[in-house]
Amino acid sequence: VASMATIGFYVIYTGVTLFGGLPYQYYPFVLIVGAITGVICYYGLNRPLLYRKAAETTLMMSTLGYDLVLLSLIQMYADFLTYNFKLFPRRVTMSLFDFELFGERAAAFILPIIAIACLTILHFFLTKTKFGIAMRATIENPTLAGASGINSDRVYLVSWIISGGMAALGGSFMAMAMTGTPVMGMYTIPLMFAGAILGGLGNIYGGILGGMVIGLTEYAGVYLLAQQFGPWILGYRMGIPLFIMAATLLIFPRGLSGIPLGKIIKNLTGQKRGASA
Amino acid sequence: MITNGSSGDKFKGFIASRIVFVLAIIIALLAFLYFSRGISIILTILIQVTMSLNLESGYSGIPQFGRVAAVIAGAFAVGAIPGRIMAAFMGLPAGAEYASDTVNFKLVPQINAVLASSWLISLGFLIMCLVLAGLSGALIGWLISRPAIRLKEGYLGISMLAIGDFFMWVGHNWKLLVGGSTPVNVPDPFRVFGADRFNVIVPVFFVIAVLIFIYLNKLTQSPFGRNLRMLRDNDLSANAAGLNIVKVRTQALVIGAAIAAIGGGLYVIYTGSVAAIGLTRLTFTFWPWAYMMLGGIGSNIGVFLGVFLLTILRTMIIIFRSTWFGFLMQVGIDPLWLEYTLLGAVIIIVILFMPHGLVPEKIAPMLPSKRIKKVLADRQAVSE
Repeated sequence: VASMATIGFYVIYTGVTLFGGLPYQYYPFVLIVGAITGVICYYGLNRPLLYRKAAETTLMMSTLGYDLVLLSLIQMYADFLTYNFKLFPRRVTMSLFDFELFGERAAAFILPIIAIACLTILHFFLTKTKFGIAMRATIENPTLAGASGINSDRVYLVSWIISGGMAALGGSFMAMAMTGTPVMGMYTIPLMFAGAILGGLGNIYGGILGGMVIGLTEYAGVYLLAQQFGPWILGYRMGIPLFIMAATLLIFPRGLSGIPLGKIIKNLTGQKRGASA
Repeated sequence: MITNGSSGDKFKGFIASRIVFVLAIIIALLAFLYFSRGISIILTILIQVTMSLNLESGYSGIPQFGRVAAVIAGAFAVGAIPGRIMAAFMGLPAGAEYASDTVNFKLVPQINAVLASSWLISLGFLIMCLVLAGLSGALIGWLISRPAIRLKEGYLGISMLAIGDFFMWVGHNWKLLVGGSTPVNVPDPFRVFGADRFNVIVPVFFVIAVLIFIYLNKLTQSPFGRNLRMLRDNDLSANAAGLNIVKVRTQALVIGAAIAAIGGGLYVIYTGSVAAIGLTRLTFTFWPWAYMMLGGIGSNIGVFLGVFLLTILRTMIIIFRSTWFGFLMQVGIDPLWLEYTLLGAVIIIVILFMPHGLVPEKIAPMLPSKRIKKVLADRQAVSE
């Protein structure tokens, strides 16, 4: 849910402007607030629908509805800040609150470290712990996982907590690099979705890969193209990642993680098709 | 989405739907008296867009989260092409400079003067606008259907959402088309009527909406509509029954996109200018979804109802914001944001508590019972 990212950003903003200090010391709060919004969404919305075995489209639509409610709350909160604390929360450059490290903005060092740490923890959680393995099993085949004694309710709850926390953290990262506005989640949601489905739904590593591809094409790719064709192309910054997504889905309808790499390698190395079966 | 509850449920649903219907009509009449004609114009346009969404998502089961793409196609077509054609006939600059912000505002009044001089030219212009909007919508629908048709549910919905946003950004950045970030003016075919402009627009738009309603009703009761429902309820068995899934889905997308594009074209004719940034996913995708879900997925009457109720609620929030929500204003919060809350809340509440909407879809026999009996009797006679 995109507005969770915006919420993460506003938690930081409120903390820094009202209580002072560095943006980084509010990251634990961001995680907690993001996790709480995730839990509310799960218990209020997602769980009843899952019990009813609602269609995928219904689930998507319901999360979009929740997103709109969050967006309106954020907008009201921004109004509230403007009126009562005489702040300007509609155009915020968080990097003003940053400190310098080795002559650069500290964000350039700290954010990648936090991101990599998060991903490493997530990786070990999903591959080494019992609960993480249960989570992956539930995502791939809920019925089978339930039959083998996994409490899918708890799995979904934990996954909502993790995703809420991560989304909020991601939003607070985003604000270090660009201007924060109440609608920033609304405008970036197609790209987030694009990253997720480019990688393939239901696969965490696919999500990382898709996010990397989308992010790189949006900034680095467009920068290169602008050098070639002139600056007019900068306006279509959003279009290029989406074009790449559409092209990828044309060839691999299940995203990058759906590419049968093993099969392709086998074909290339000369083994006959179907020999392994 | 067949409502096969017990008889008590059916009775309750029947009563509820009648009461809601009467209430809606009363509220609508009051609203017509109370508000300006502007709202009824917006209503007819939204009804068209929502009915086209209903054809694609309600009847065919395609998760159309990019309704705005077709609306944009229609709006851009009306903004870019008919004005240029008129300008070319009148010997005015009709190429790239037509959409430029230094030329356009001088050109359009000249075209308007010609349109105002004769109702025949105006009528022709209006028809040209509608045809162009429909054609470009159909084209966009077909183009979108090409990559999208093979995708699975979630992927399809998301890529459509992305495509819709992409079109908006193209319009916002490509100056040749509709002026980029500066809106392009649209020649006004209703200028002939002078001060009565709005009085004429309301019935004309209403007639167009009713025609589309009749067309869609006939379409969904035809064998084609049956195919669509079969596809939605079980695409595997539809395929097994010899239905060409890709073809039927493409047809649904093209027809739906054409209708939505006509809605978009009418919208820009009414507002008199095309600003790409104003054609957002919120107004032309999420609100129509909310209307459709409230009214009942897969029922065209429900769409009418949903649009009426929600548009009136929305307008009420705007009109009564200082009297109803004064307590919010005291802490500096603008009650306009409640519109978003309302939209989100309606979607959530409808999904959670009344998944079939106000007017649930009724599966009626395709033919009147007399004719079915006659057909059966004929068959028996043949076999004997």
